[in-house]
Amino acid sequence: MRGPLKLEVWKMGFVNYLEALKLQEKLVSDRKLCRIPDTLLSLQHPPTYTLGKRRTDHNLLIPESELKNIGAELHYTQRGGDITFHGPHQAILYPIISLREMGLGARNYVEKLESTMIELSSLYGVKACAGKKCETGVWVGERKIGAIGVRISSGITSHGLAFNIDPELEYFKHIVPCGITDKEVTSLRRETSTALPSEEVIQEQLISCFARLFGYNTVVQKENPSILSDHEEIA
Amino acid sequence: MALTVWASSTANALRISCASKPHLPLAFSFSRCFSTVLDGLKYASSHEWVKHDGSVATIGITDHAQDHLGEVVFVELPEPGVPVSQGKGFGAVESVKATSDVNSPISGEVVEVNSKLTEAPGLINSSPYEEGWMIKVKPSSPSELESLMGSKEYTKFCEEEDASH
Repeated sequence: MRGPLKLEVWKMGFVNYLEALKLQEKLVSDRKLCRIPDTLLSLQHPPTYTLGKRRTDHNLLIPESELKNIGAELHYTQRGGDITFHGPHQAILYPIISLREMGLGARNYVEKLESTMIELSSLYGVKACAGKKCETGVWVGERKIGAIGVRISSGITSHGLAFNIDPELEYFKHIVPCGITDKEVTSLRRETSTALPSEEVIQEQLISCFARLFGYNTVVQKENPSILSDHEEIA
Repeated sequence: MALTVWASSTANALRISCASKPHLPLAFSFSRCFSTVLDGLKYASSHEWVKHDGSVATIGITDHAQDHLGEVVFVELPEPGVPVSQGKGFGAVESVKATSDVNSPISGEVVEVNSKLTEAPGLINSSPYEEGWMIKVKPSSPSELESLMGSKEYTKFCEEEDASH
């Protein structure tokens, strides 16, 4: 059996997509060199559409020029998966972890990410389940509540999962979410009759579910997590 | 061979580990996780295989790798003429919403890529050592092969890696 597993959690609040991407690239590089332990970023994004490596931009239903008018950005990434939307009130986890050290392959890793969101949903009496073949993600019936898109580089993960607490679902109307037509997107707010606590509490629960499912026995929170290096400033 | 391919696809669809494949004509050894490992190939710790045949080396990912990835839906390959370096990425595969970089076990120049993988990425799952080959390379440092694992070593490596979770 392996020794104690440590996870360092960065609670980052609201972060611009590109800044979060740059941070992940740096952390992946640090993790490859074993400079940092397994790390988990917990955050939310301003309205952002993102595409995966396959660049399925035919699933964006409005012209790119229109995006500014609705207050959203578009980014192309190297992650797996199709087009998706990120925005306020959607809890995001970006694990930067070593799958090799855990002995996990891509399939098992993604299944555990699905389980993380399923477990969180169950805390609120919502019966969610993993998608069937070709529909990776977390569903409540025919409605999608959580999405996954991951990149694995030399066994180190980046990108991750997005769980809909109570985002503005109208934004999803401008895309074919995850390339799946005829299926709705939903949120925890819509699916539960339980009163929801603050989002901070829900995000904390999501982190706990993740840590437990992945077998971390030591979870520490990083003091003052920042996307900035010592000499940069946000414009 | 057809039965083997069917069994493999079904296994993948059901998301269970592939059973061993005794029908293959080449010599093989079993790992405890029942992935096939072929003799005569060399293996990298990042689960790519290389078959050195005179002046050309063929490269792909192993049965263990494809099993752990899940169904491959997209393959990104380099253009012929591009250089590759030992241990560095040359392409990627996508499965279950995850893109995974594929690293080259040796350095050299890409001379051919398997264009069938664009239309049929699942060949990597159904035939990882044969029809699912990814690139052919003209090796620049044949001595690099010595730093790679043989089939027995790689089998043990897979067992240890799987046991750690």
